[in-house]
Amino acid sequence: MPEYPDELIRDLLRDGLSSEELEGLQRQDKDEDRFEQVLRLEQERLEWPERILLCLQAHLYVVEKDDGSKVVRCDCGQEFGDYQRNWKESALVFERAGADADAIYRGPRVADPDWSILREFYCPGCATQLDVEVVPRGYPFIFNVELDLGAVELRRQ
Amino acid sequence: MMMSLKDRLLERDRRMAELGRYEEKLELKERDPIRFELLYSKMVESVTSAHEVARRVSASPMSRELGEIIFGLYTPEGDAVALSRGLLIHVKTMSRMIKWMIENGYEDDPGFAEGDHYFNNDPYIGGAHCPDQMIVTPIWWEGELVGWAGGLTHTPETGGSEPGGFIPFARSRFDEGLFLPCVKVAENDKIKRDLEVLVERGIRSPIYWLTDNRAKITGSQIIREDVKGLIGQFGVDYFAKACREYIEDTRLAAEQRIRKVLPPGTYREVSWRGSMMPGDETLLHGPVAMTVTREGRLNFDYEGMSPAGRHPFQGTLPTIEGLVMNVVIQNLFYDLKHNEGVLLNIGLNVPKGSAGNPSSIFYPTALWGITYGAGLASGQAISRAYYAKGYREEVHATSALSSAYTAGGLDQYGRPFGAHNFEFAAAGLFATAVMDGLDTAGVEFNPEGEMGDAEIWEQMLPPVYLSREIHVDGGGYGKYRGGNGVMSLYLVSGTKDIDIGAFGAAPIYSAPGLMGGYPAGALYMWVGSRTNMHRLIAEGRPIPSGEGEDPAHPDFVEMVEARWELIPGANRSAQPAREGDLFTAMTGDGGGFGDPIERDPELILRDLENQVTTHWTARHVYCVAIDPETMEVDVAATEQLRRKQREERRSVGMPAQQYKARERETILRGDLAKPTARMFHAVLGSSEAFRRAFLEFWGLPESWEMTDPDRDDEEVE
Ligand SMILES: [Zn+2]
Repeated sequence: MPEYPDELIRDLLRDGLSSEELEGLQRQDKDEDRFEQVLRLEQERLEWPERILLCLQAHLYVVEKDDGSKVVRCDCGQEFGDYQRNWKESALVFERAGADADAIYRGPRVADPDWSILREFYCPGCATQLDVEVVPRGYPFIFNVELDLGAVELRRQ
Repeated sequence: MMMSLKDRLLERDRRMAELGRYEEKLELKERDPIRFELLYSKMVESVTSAHEVARRVSASPMSRELGEIIFGLYTPEGDAVALSRGLLIHVKTMSRMIKWMIENGYEDDPGFAEGDHYFNNDPYIGGAHCPDQMIVTPIWWEGELVGWAGGLTHTPETGGSEPGGFIPFARSRFDEGLFLPCVKVAENDKIKRDLEVLVERGIRSPIYWLTDNRAKITGSQIIREDVKGLIGQFGVDYFAKACREYIEDTRLAAEQRIRKVLPPGTYREVSWRGSMMPGDETLLHGPVAMTVTREGRLNFDYEGMSPAGRHPFQGTLPTIEGLVMNVVIQNLFYDLKHNEGVLLNIGLNVPKGSAGNPSSIFYPTALWGITYGAGLASGQAISRAYYAKGYREEVHATSALSSAYTAGGLDQYGRPFGAHNFEFAAAGLFATAVMDGLDTAGVEFNPEGEMGDAEIWEQMLPPVYLSREIHVDGGGYGKYRGGNGVMSLYLVSGTKDIDIGAFGAAPIYSAPGLMGGYPAGALYMWVGSRTNMHRLIAEGRPIPSGEGEDPAHPDFVEMVEARWELIPGANRSAQPAREGDLFTAMTGDGGGFGDPIERDPELILRDLENQVTTHWTARHVYCVAIDPETMEVDVAATEQLRRKQREERRSVGMPAQQYKARERETILRGDLAKPTARMFHAVLGSSEAFRRAFLEFWGLPESWEMTDPDRDDEEVE
């Protein structure tokens, strides 16, 4: 039995928690089985036949396919290749500077592009904005999460 | 014969390395856990009362109103056992100071007698910069040194080349002010008069420094006397062993916590600051790779950090250490005993010679910017790991990059003064994965800090507030937006001799977002000189009360005739101002979380009602259709706008491989702006690991070398 009812954790995943419930979660000792519970609830929601191994970040999951490969997949179904490779290599990229930056930051709030630009990464499937890097021009993509999935799996057993 | 402290310190390090534990067995805890916890609660009570009493002794608003002060109890070897609330970033710095004195033979000369109080504000020993000032005192029991008590404050003036302690263009340590590295300032609990004279004549506003000293000495004495009482009650052997067990207790709990809540792997973030030194504007690189090991260790690797240089945006090793301790306490170990134990499962690699570990004390650290950035980025890395484990209630974006104004001259009472405003202790907080960032809430270096009443700042500094408002749309956009900070508009008044400066950053995006959220915008400052303010007031015409809805055309610029100057990044050397001049300062805002077009229109309506966002932003950033008259959301039109936004992304977004091919050409052409090119050139030359990663990512040959971006300039000379 999970320590928290499925309803509560489902609300957490769907942004439906009241501030009291949220504070309750933050104040308590962390529940041991959260990882399993979240995976189970996400599996139910997405109805994918393949097993979800891990929630990588907003919208992105590591999924084990029938052929044994482990890939990053967006909740829209778009795949980004092997999880050991940076998913950003398979995304759409847009550098936001100049007039494009003025379109959303007004006046002096726009950074000087000689110092800092925005690099937006979109899902090619659903066009969700998955990440916004703050970088100078010419900076390699940041590989944010490089998992030791073997160890995560070990702990699940 | 009793072991020297130096030998005890070596023995402590040897035991730690050999056992991997601070104390072999938790015998006292196991034998009688209630007695064990009782003593600890008495210790916490003592450091807390020292903190509260000291705040009332000091005349500095920094300590009194804002709570930029912390107290601690330490083992004889200088490891923290119990800490008060307050300026959490400095939990480690007094520890470093005590160890430094032991390592440098202070036990023999000048000695550690009962009633001695040692002062330090040298950040290369412990602390972040000249304003961080600590005082520690030994605790003796029947001829044996059984521990240390100490307190730390942040003083608003240091006697630097510019007023206010934060020297925005310090070229060397010698611009920062008066350093007293581990100097005995009191004997037999009596403050040495000659040292007070040194401060009285050495800095602009000595009252803050001097009364802070009294506050710290008072607090330390409270702890010292309490500890003696506790030893009388519990016995000296029990006390000494319990101190070690409290640290081991925390270490053990921290190890279990890491194993429980963070999945093994490596998590990477990058932070940026910039040196604005005229003619040598250089971006600074602050990467972090956090590795969670299978055994429950956390390693923070800052390989690739920019080299140290002649600018104030670097920090010392104790600063990074303190930041990491601060970040892990707030993100992971918030409910454990806050002591040295939180650091014992943590590995740090800060390359020697980098801006986080300068090779010479010559390099100034007045603004310690890149170490602060890298420290906050370490918290981001923890957030990523929390997300992967399903604990989304703990996930957050980055908190604000701080900024404020500094001033010096003659104050409204005709006295010499120098100080900074510190209301940025109430900056906008980060967005989280489940809610918006809090407005005007706090900063990570002091989770309990306060902004101080406007009247207090007006008493301390001559400028008066025309407005102090929530920075509209300051927080980074996102499904959950970052918290908005404060923007203040000041009028220079009541003095004929005043310089106004500011410390900020380079014009970079200030606080990165997370998982699709935008960063907060760049910092900026407006200065209006030779204004018609007095005529506006005399004629009873409207005067500005803030920035208004459009930061591109702020209300004050529209309403007041003046020579208006915009300072992108808000880093400004102190310059003369005159009666009637206006200027702004901002505290910084938090980063956003998630794709902004997923933001619930109801949240946008709420923000509009609270006047912390604008219809312009609702439409252009969040793609929400709201009727400004009826304040109703048009659901169908909103869906349409958001669909269009996704189409727009598909059309402007370039497949990553194609983008990389294009950018590779840019790099090969050397077509990068100076601040960026200088950063790459410096980091590629100083970090082999970064060079390899860079070449691999861009598919460049091993033989490729970046041209020195300043080479052409030199040839011209
Ligand atoms: Zn998608």
